[in-house]
Formats: sequence, C-alpha cells, structure tokens
Amino acid sequence: MTGIDFAFPLANGLHARPASLLRDACRPFKATVLLRNQRSRRSADAASVLELVASATLHNDPCRLEIAGPQEREAVDALRAFLEHDLPRADDGAPPAPPVAAPERASWLPPVFLSGGGTLRRGRALAAGSGRARAARVGRSRLLPERPVAGIRDAKKELELFRRACRRLEAELRDEIAPLRDAIAAGILKAHLEIVRDPGFREMIAALIADKKRPAGRAIREAAAHFAGILRRAPSAYLQERAGDIEDIAARLGEKLAGPAPRQAPPLGRGPRVPRGPLVAVAASLSPSALLALDRRRLRGLILGPVGFTSHAAILARSLAIPAVSLPPAELAGIPDGAEVIVDGRRGLAVVSPGAELKRYYRLEQQAAEMRRQRLACLNRRPAATHDKVRVEIAANIAAPAELDSAWRNGAEGVGLFRSEFLFLGREAPPGEEEQHAAYSLAARSAGERRIIFRTLDIGGDKPLPFLGLPREENPFLGCRAVRFYSGHADLIRCQLRALLRATARSGCLRVMVPMVTVVEEVRLARRLLSEAVSELRARKAAVPGRIELGIMVETPAAALAIDSLAREAAFFSVGSNDLLQYTMAVDRGNAALAGLYDPLHPAFLRLLQQAATQARQAKRWLGICGEMAGDSELLPLLAGIGFDELSMVPALVPAVRERLAQLDGSECRALLRRALKAEDAAATRALLRKFNGRGGGAGVVAAELVRLGSNSRTPSEAIKELCSLLELEGRVGDAALLEEAVWKREETYATDLGLGFALPHGKSDTVRSASVAFLRPARPMRWSGKGPPGVRGVLLIAVPAAARGEEHLRLIARLSRQLMHEDFRAALLAAGDAAVVVSLINGCLRSNK
Amino acid sequence: MKIVAVTACPTGIAHTYMAAEQLEKTARRLGHAIRVETQGSMGIEDRLEAADIRDADAVIFAADIAVQDGERFAGKRIVETSVQEAIKHPEALFARLANKGRP
Repeated sequence: MTGIDFAFPLANGLHARPASLLRDACRPFKATVLLRNQRSRRSADAASVLELVASATLHNDPCRLEIAGPQEREAVDALRAFLEHDLPRADDGAPPAPPVAAPERASWLPPVFLSGGGTLRRGRALAAGSGRARAARVGRSRLLPERPVAGIRDAKKELELFRRACRRLEAELRDEIAPLRDAIAAGILKAHLEIVRDPGFREMIAALIADKKRPAGRAIREAAAHFAGILRRAPSAYLQERAGDIEDIAARLGEKLAGPAPRQAPPLGRGPRVPRGPLVAVAASLSPSALLALDRRRLRGLILGPVGFTSHAAILARSLAIPAVSLPPAELAGIPDGAEVIVDGRRGLAVVSPGAELKRYYRLEQQAAEMRRQRLACLNRRPAATHDKVRVEIAANIAAPAELDSAWRNGAEGVGLFRSEFLFLGREAPPGEEEQHAAYSLAARSAGERRIIFRTLDIGGDKPLPFLGLPREENPFLGCRAVRFYSGHADLIRCQLRALLRATARSGCLRVMVPMVTVVEEVRLARRLLSEAVSELRARKAAVPGRIELGIMVETPAAALAIDSLAREAAFFSVGSNDLLQYTMAVDRGNAALAGLYDPLHPAFLRLLQQAATQARQAKRWLGICGEMAGDSELLPLLAGIGFDELSMVPALVPAVRERLAQLDGSECRALLRRALKAEDAAATRALLRKFNGRGGGAGVVAAELVRLGSNSRTPSEAIKELCSLLELEGRVGDAALLEEAVWKREETYATDLGLGFALPHGKSDTVRSASVAFLRPARPMRWSGKGPPGVRGVLLIAVPAAARGEEHLRLIARLSRQLMHEDFRAALLAAGDAAVVVSLINGCLRSNK
Repeated sequence: MKIVAVTACPTGIAHTYMAAEQLEKTARRLGHAIRVETQGSMGIEDRLEAADIRDADAVIFAADIAVQDGERFAGKRIVETSVQEAIKHPEALFARLANKGRP
C-alpha cells in the first residue's frame, strides 16, 4: 500500500465534478484507491463519486490517498501527477462555479410598492425576471411505498427489484436528458444518473438488503438518508444542497420499485384541479425532474420555500430563464392557491393580489426588458462592428457540442475555438475516427455557413492521458504539451485530422488550428500530418473539403514575435491570451500570491499583442483572440484598438461584448491604445481605460432615443422607471434599477418638481456609464409631489456617474439646469414637435456660453 | 444693493445651478448687483474673493448642505434659505434681504 498526502486544493471543496475527475483518474488501474480526510475523519472509495463527495472535503483539508493492488506503482505515478496538475485546475473555466454570489436581499423598494396595492412577501432572488399569473401549488408527495419493516424472506427477490428499479430510472433519466438543449440542465440530470450508478450507493443498498434483510424500499431510504445526512452536516452550503439530489433519486427509485407505473402527469398538466392558463408554480421545494416536468409554456414563475441560490431548482430556473424566488416558510404559507401573484426574481419577492398601479409598473418593467431583448436580437442580426463600422467578428469558445446552441442563441457569429479535448479526457483508450467524426459532424452541421475553427488535441504533460503514456515532467507547462507531443503520436493526430476532414467535407471548408506553436517546424509537421490525412482519405475514396486552412494558436512569445515568418506556413492566427500572458509574465495564473502579475493590461503584454497584430496585417493574415480577455467588455476598447479580426469567448459573454462594441469608435480605440502602449504599468493602463469607458465612447449627453413625447406614464414612479429604462436600453446605464434607486433616494430629500411645470429627477450612481439626460412629456400632466392639481408636463432626468467630478458633461448639465429657469426655454421644450427638436434645444443651450 | 450668494445642493448636479441662475435673474430684475458662487459637482465655481465679500451689502446662502469655507463670511449679515426656496420664491427672499438690511 502506498499513501500520498496532500492538502485539498479547490476552493469549492470536493464536489461532484472534481470527484468524478478523481474517479476517472483511478479507473484505468487495477488498484483500489481510498481517500482519507484527516479533518472530517471520513474515508471514501475513489470509485464512488458519492462517497467522495460525502467525505465532506473542504479547501485545504489534510487528505491522504491510499493505493493498493497489482497496478499500485502505475496508479501512484498517475495520481501524483493528477493531484499536482489536474486537480488544482478542475474548476478552471468550469461553467458557473458553484458558489455564485447570491444577490443581496433588496432592502430598498421604489415607493410604488407602498402605494401600488397588494401584499408583499419578501424573500430571496433565485432567477431574474418577473412574471404574473395565478398561483398553483405543485409538487408531488413521493412517499416511498411502505412495506413491512420486519425482516424479509427473499433477499434475492428484493435485490432483483432494486436492480430493476435502477435500470428503469437510468432509462428514464436518459430519456429526460436527450431532448434538453441546455448544457447546464443536462449536466444536473447527468449528475443524477451518476448517483444511480454510483457503486458506493448501490453497494450500501445491496448490503442492507442482503445482510440486514431490509426491504428494498427501506434500504434505499436508509442509504439515501446516510449520504444525505453527511452532506447536510457538511460545512459548505453547496454540499448541503446536494443532499436534496440524493433524496430526489431515492424517491424516484422508490417509485420504480412499485412497478412500471406510468409517470405521473406533469403537475401543471391536465390534472382536474389545475386551472387553465398561465400559472406561477408554488412549492416548498422542487426536484430537478419535477421542475423539468412543468409545462413551460404556461409557467410564468416559481415561488419556492427556503432553497438555496445554488440548489438545482435555482440553477435550472436561471438556465431556463424562469423568474424564481425563495420565501421563508411563513411567507410561503401566505400565498393562497389560485390568487393572482407577481414573482419578482430580481428583487426577491412576491406580491399577492397586486393593485392596478403595481401591475402597470411591472408591465413597464417587462416592456423595457422586452425592448432590450429585441434590441439585442436586432444587434445580432447585423454583423458585429464598432459604431463607425469597423468589423470585428464575435465568436464563441466551445468545449462540447452541447454548448453550440447556447452560442447561437447568444448571438455568436461563429466558433473561434472548438476544443476537442472533451472526446479524449476521462477514458482509457483514445476515441476512434468514427466517434470523433460523429462529434465534429454535429458541430459542423450546427455551424452551417458560420466560421468554425477546430483545435487539434491540446494535451500533454500538464493534462496527462493514461493512454498516451507520456513521461512525467518536472515542469509540464514548459514541457511536452500540445503540438510538442504530435511527432511521437502521429497516428493519433492523423486520426483526428481524418475525422475533421470528413466532418467538414460537405460544408466545403475545414479550418483547423494547432495549439502551442513555438517554431515554424511545428507548423510544417502539422501540415505534413494534414496532407497525409488527406491522402489516406483519398486512397479510401472518402470526400474531403475543397478548402483546407491550417492555422496556429499564438500562445508563446516566440510565436507572437515571429508572425511574419510563421505566416508562410499558417493561414490564420488566434491568440490564446491565457497561456501567452503566463509565458510573457513568467507567472502561473493559478498562483494566487502572484495574481497581480497575471494582468493582461500590462503595457508589455499589450505591446506584444499589438506587434503580433501589425505583423499579421502586413502578412495579410486573419488574427483572432480566444483567451479570457477576449470576453471582457471593459478591455474591449483596447482589443478593438489593436485591430483583431475576431474575438472568441464563452457564449454567455457574447451579448455584452456585441453591445459594447457597437458603442465604440474605432479611431478613438486606436488613440486609446497608443496611450496605453506608453503607460508605465498595468495600473496606469487601467486608469486610462476606466477614464475612457466612463466617457461613454464620445456620445453626447442627450440623443433622440432618450426622448419620449406623449408618454403613457401617469405617476412619478412610472416616469422615472421609463426614463431609467431608456437610459439602460441605450447602454448609458448598466442597471436601470440601480439608477432608479439613486434617483428616488435623491427625490426623498425633497421632490424635484419646481412648481414650473417641470420635474428634474436626478441621481449619481456607479451604474451610470456616461453623464446623460433623458426627457419625457406625459400625455396628461401628472402630480409629482404634494396635493395640488397635476401640473408636471415635462420630466427631465439626469444621470451622472458616481465618480464624475469636474467633467465636461457635468458642465453641460449645469448649463442645462440654468436654462430651465428661463420661461422661453421651458415653453420651447413643452412645444417641441418631435424628439429631434428637443435634442437640438438641449444641445443648443449646452453650446451657448452660459 | 451689492449682494453675494452661495448655492449648494445635496448632489450638486442641478439645483445648485438652477438656484444660482434664479438669483442672478431676479437680482437683475430688481436692479441689484449680484455675484453667485456655486458649490456643486464642478467643485467651487465663480469663487467669491475677499474683496467681493467685503464690499457686499448682503450675503445669501441658498444651501441644503454646509457651505464650504463659510468663515470667509464672518461678520457679514447672512440670509440663509434652502435651494428650493431660492428657486421657487426668489422675490420673497429678496424682500427678506431688504428688511434685514434696514437698521
């Protein structure tokens, strides 16, 4: 027996993903591996993900792996490498890391919540958005069928019943997973499938039946209670919430024991008591399967009991864009079945029997959200470009075909990086040509006419694959990784290239890129492998695409500095900024102590990028970037200034980047870059960038889009909401609700109507990107404050960034405020026939000297 | 009369300047000479110098927050009011000033 001691490296503890990676790392060897956690005093068989998770292992826990068996030596070597290199990175780039910060409970509410009618039930936000419909209690009491507790006679029969139940549930889960288009939702059900298959869970149940003579139903319940109990006591909220998954599985297994009864009708389905039309589902808790069974066309929102932000119900609700809140039990009890209710998944509350004014307010909010969606959709229909029509393609990074749908939904124009590692990781033998062909064909078909760039296998000493048999290295990041192991494994890479060529034969174009190129010989090697793959296919009379482009990833400074000579062999380039930054700054990005050095804003790094871009342009080569910095909207002005042809990022970031890009001006971005290249350090660049972003890219304080004449707003609440939403829609404000709050807090010191037919609400907030003025004329005069007759005929809302002081825009707003004291100016604003006249009036007074 | 005034409101975005404009406009109409210092988002502008203050017959503070460098006005007669009042009822403010001005 060999022991390896280590401190558990992941901040989120040993949750399902790293646990299954550890299991996969152990699998190839004939050896038993035991994890002993010296703090929690629990041990777990590494073959059981459930036992591993139940070991309640937290960040920095002292742990030991005990390895014994015929292949002990090989397993020890592999596991040492795994602990050192893979485990610490298991959560890197993982789509939403479990401890997503739950939004704070909204303490401030607009005044309409006091005056608007209805009963407020306050709790926590789970999934954004709002919806209004009748409340309907759902959920099934899935009690396990009770059978005599006294011992059973026929353990064999109970075991058979249990195994049959497992088979049925596995089949049912697979049926549920198959049609899911959403990778996160599918991931949750896949985790459930893993629990059903988990050897630790199954063995415990089998032992309870065989040794303790428990009926199968009771054995399932006891085993589930055992694992759920451990998780509930775990000192991590994330692990505690996983207890519900096990109970969900146990309940469903219990159902399956009873026989092949048809699935219960979906709770929002055709039941006799369930009313017709849209509904808000109310339940103390909802298992993933119960949630997925709800009829989503009728579902307007979810009101749940005290479930966590990282509960699966919450994750699913966010992923499926269903507004959801969690209420304390007493508040939940105050939602009468059948009552009209508003779910507000942003403020974390529900309103029972809302009054007309509040309904109008929410309608405004939904209209604003809908307009924003439409604007994004409209943006997505046009090629992504800056305001002055500098074209920059916005693409997605894809780690598995399941993510493609989300990429297109988010408005990606192509795939800038299709990682192929998912096919190779966690298995004992490499995938064959057919398996790869199937996966790549799926991706190529999904992309259609859009550009898709496949990356060949990016794996090596840092990501060891058991079947490669690569030697362990002292310093794998400077060792035999990516293209550097291709020469020794030409068959493997040719097989991948054949699969790629076949998959793209129909579309007519293969774009493939090679990772981690340092010298031109490596590109030549890749080119040779590619032409060999083509000949092999031709010999088989298989079709190959008419156009084949071989590109490279620019991840080493050596490549970045030699684009001109590499361009003789490479058709295109894509900067892998994560590795390039590591190698440029000589810092491991996982090293928290040196996090300050790992900063893409360092002028040296920007100079490297800029030089690479200049060389690429001179060589007439296409240049993209697919590292993390490509998806950062704040850095976008610099990337646009450098002049990348394409930015590729995780799908969720695409909309924000497209929107920001459309606001930028190419020549201003280039001017900004020139200043940034001369900056002394990253902090200086950051200051330049912040100043640039705060300016709003050169927009004036007012625009026709910020003017509403003949608005339907009847109250100050509605007028302020409408104007804040307009500012958000135009990208001048990050979050309209935050500005709304700032404006109302100001309004509370004293109302801003002047007794002159005008109100001048205003606010300062971090959420304001550039100082702006929005104007609204209500169809009928409104009462702003006090008791008098409704007299406000014009509402001018001013939004100013919190940090702004002494800026040009503030001077303009000061001038505008002064102008409002003049009767003729006010009269002109009230008489203006259209938005353009309002804009020119405001701009006119801004240009005048005082 | 020679009048100096300071305007200052909580956010310093709008009312500071509106009050300043209103005071200047009303003073002109009533035939007074006035200089107004604004303490707003642009910082202190049109700062009143010692000579301005010394020569003034009256001082107006139209402010919802503490006036910065208030010690400059030590020994002067100061009429204090809110920014709102200065905007909404400037004539009343000037009448108060005239009354206070009499011995």
